[in-house]
Amino acid sequence: MDNTLCIAGRDPVPSLFRLEAGEALRMTIIIPEGVNFEHALEIHLDGPGASLDLAGAWRCSSDERVRLQVTVRHNAPGCTSTQLFKGVVGGTARAEFDGLVYVAPGAFKTEARQQSHSLLLSEGAFCEARPQLEIYADDVVCSHGATTGYLSPEELFYMRSRGIPEAQARAMQVEAFLAPILNRAL
Amino acid sequence: MSDILLEIKDLHAGIEGREILKGVDLTIRKGEVHAVMGPNGAGKSTLSAVLAGRADYTVTSGSVTYDGRDLLAMAPEERSWAGIFLSFQYPVEIPGVSITNFMKAALNSRRKAQGLPEFSPSEFLKSLKEKMALVQMKGEFAKREVNVGFSGGEKKRNEIFQMAMLEPTLSILDETDSGLDVDALRIVADGVNRLRTPETASIVITHYQRLLEYIVPDVVHVLKAGRIVRTGGRELVDLIETKGYDGIDG
Repeated sequence: MDNTLCIAGRDPVPSLFRLEAGEALRMTIIIPEGVNFEHALEIHLDGPGASLDLAGAWRCSSDERVRLQVTVRHNAPGCTSTQLFKGVVGGTARAEFDGLVYVAPGAFKTEARQQSHSLLLSEGAFCEARPQLEIYADDVVCSHGATTGYLSPEELFYMRSRGIPEAQARAMQVEAFLAPILNRAL
Repeated sequence: MSDILLEIKDLHAGIEGREILKGVDLTIRKGEVHAVMGPNGAGKSTLSAVLAGRADYTVTSGSVTYDGRDLLAMAPEERSWAGIFLSFQYPVEIPGVSITNFMKAALNSRRKAQGLPEFSPSEFLKSLKEKMALVQMKGEFAKREVNVGFSGGEKKRNEIFQMAMLEPTLSILDETDSGLDVDALRIVADGVNRLRTPETASIVITHYQRLLEYIVPDVVHVLKAGRIVRTGGRELVDLIETKGYDGIDG
């Protein structure tokens, strides 16, 4: 399977992919600390049976601005797409994610899943996720979910009570949160 | 040198402006096992929370001296480095962090704080395997995420496993018997008993006498309405069993 890793600030990040019948794309976008990044990405599943496995992670710790717009278009029947995005936002950084899944008329037997999860590390940090579904076909399975959370004080206390200093305990939780995406980049 | 390990004097503490401990005095010497028994709401969990350094509890007056140091001035991690261990009543799940990495971070943080080099991977693995055997945990256990998807018994065994890894001087077992079937209770108690030394001490906090059949205390305290109303030997456990907490007065 095609496996594409894009590290923002280091690699060019494409803005359009078209997948023909039976083609598969696995892609991981990483936005490291200290990188401002605004980007729109479109992926068109144009041929029957095409599949997309897309993941992205961002880690903002000071005053970064991240805005990612992802549009996935299911233009043919029997295509699948899964998307998972995870962002950690601290300092006074802002991270915005727009995710549109469009299912064209006739794209029956579509399976589309999208998840976005944010972890806020400070009062001054801001994040927003705007997931959208536009469905014009019958017999499809589509889902999306977005969550925003904070580091758990219970977990931090538990770790500290075992001798792990607070800063390290926080870092371990952040690492654990991003691991499902970062492990794809190994 | 004194053999007093922990000295609590006239401790008043509470949460959200509500006073729960209303003048607790307690002295623990090395080598001793103390049971703190009491009905629900007596302040048992507040006592363990204050000793471990939970930020949401406030100490309004009194003092706690541990090994000659002002315990209340120490951060939770400093208390751990100094040899205090709390076995949680409700162990916390830490998704994405394996038992191995958790314990490695815990042990090496303490080594660093003590100015010692980190454990070598082989030393660490040897200790991990020994201590897993102590609480009858098998192979895959070390790879699992901390407490995630653990049964009640597994969580408590994991607490005692961590206690064994950290080799504390003062262990506080907060309701370690709650939610345990008799087999898990035996494993947990057996682990605790095998970790006893003349240099260490334990506080066993419990509502029921059941755990104390397995971990035999030297001293028994009855905590009611935020005060220790009675201190005695093992006979106090039987007295509570027959008369209930209502029948025990200061």
